[in-house]
Amino acid sequence: MTRYGMLVNTRKCIGCYACREACQHQNKLLDNEPFIRYEERVTGKFPTTDVEMVPMQCMQCTDAPCVSVCPTGASHIGPDGIVVIDHGRCIGCLYCMAACPYQLRVRNEETGAVDKCRFCVAAVKPGEAASNCVSACPMGVRTFGDLDDPESNVSREIRATGAKPLVEGLTEAAIYYAR
Amino acid sequence: MTYEPIWGGIIAWYLFLAGLGGGAFITSAFLKWTKPEATTMRRIGHIVAPVAVCIGLVLLMFDAKAGFLNPLRFALLLSNFGSVMTWGVVFLAAFTIIALIVLVLDLMKKSVPNWLDIVGVVAGVCVAIYTGVLLGVCQTFPLWNNALLPILFLVSALSTGAAAVIAIGILVKPQEFNEIGLLKKTHYALPAIEILLAASLVFITAHTNQAGFNSIMNLIGGQWGAWFWIGFVIVGLLAPTIIETVTLFFSSPQFEEGATARWLSFASDAGVLVGGFLLRYLVIVAALPLTMVVPML
Repeated sequence: MTRYGMLVNTRKCIGCYACREACQHQNKLLDNEPFIRYEERVTGKFPTTDVEMVPMQCMQCTDAPCVSVCPTGASHIGPDGIVVIDHGRCIGCLYCMAACPYQLRVRNEETGAVDKCRFCVAAVKPGEAASNCVSACPMGVRTFGDLDDPESNVSREIRATGAKPLVEGLTEAAIYYAR
Repeated sequence: MTYEPIWGGIIAWYLFLAGLGGGAFITSAFLKWTKPEATTMRRIGHIVAPVAVCIGLVLLMFDAKAGFLNPLRFALLLSNFGSVMTWGVVFLAAFTIIALIVLVLDLMKKSVPNWLDIVGVVAGVCVAIYTGVLLGVCQTFPLWNNALLPILFLVSALSTGAAAVIAIGILVKPQEFNEIGLLKKTHYALPAIEILLAASLVFITAHTNQAGFNSIMNLIGGQWGAWFWIGFVIVGLLAPTIIETVTLFFSSPQFEEGATARWLSFASDAGVLVGGFLLRYLVIVAALPLTMVVPML
């Protein structure tokens, strides 16, 4: 089985927003429809403070609350473990937005349907040029790949950095954070 | 990040009207079994029930924009029986159909069979409870994710349903108001129970975790504090309880059957309706999600 996932290494992130910029273009999103949200965490005491940028997007949970509450079956788990929204089935009740523990879903104000990170990286064929959050990052923060393959880049990086999901034990997220 | 509530006023109106409709139907059935002579009030309940629920459903469809623009998608609502919303659609559909049949029978002056009333009462309870469970399964919000909320919404639904029937009854047929003593006493107990449930909800949620504590502070002391204390607690719960206590237990029968008592009762019912709406609205907008405060960030 393939289960796609991503490692986000916040130790490398400089907070340039290039990933969101690429995402907006790649997915032709409206201005007010970002798939990536940034949280800032400040630790330490002045003058030895540290600012960590935490880019967040749909966690592609295996135990996805959005999927279990969706009344029309628009939100579902597709092949390769990706959480998919079938826009043709979405009525825009926003129940999934209320259920998402990370607030990482957003409503398209034109169609009224809900949307979120589509893991478009997975659709890029080898050798094909693409502009997405992984390729646009100048710092190499993001590693994408198959979590079920222990020899994939992402699995190796997760082991090497000791990365964990943002909240352990919550929803079996497929986005790992090294911080 | 700053957090914006996902649902707002329209959904609060919908939850309020769905509960009120269920409560009004139950009030009618209660009147039929305890005071069969009060036919006008019973009919008022039969009219209020489907009308309130249908207005609520129209609001819901309006709020669900993608469905509003593509109405055929609403047919997909029965796709996922793991979703509380799907069950809600089943309960609402059953309740609306029963309430409309009962209304037609009542208007045609035919007797409503008891079994139909019982099925309608069960459907009404399901609708009222579902409005609480709908929010309750969102585990991100400690203010919603508890078993008290559906019970609180059910009691509030019975209370607002009875208040609507009695208030309209006072306007339409004042003489009947003096004959429904048992309904008045039952209705009186509901805000008192609500006070206990609301207080329990506030105390328990405040002690769940940081997000629960912040939600309660947002509700009782922050942005929504004035609405909570003045609108929900005083106008919606305390004032009706005090007014009804005085008129039911501490005044002469002459006063209790007079016009002043009637208008006091009308004011108390109006307060219950205001409180019932504010309860839904405040619970929706004051809830804060867990993941903004968990140690992850």
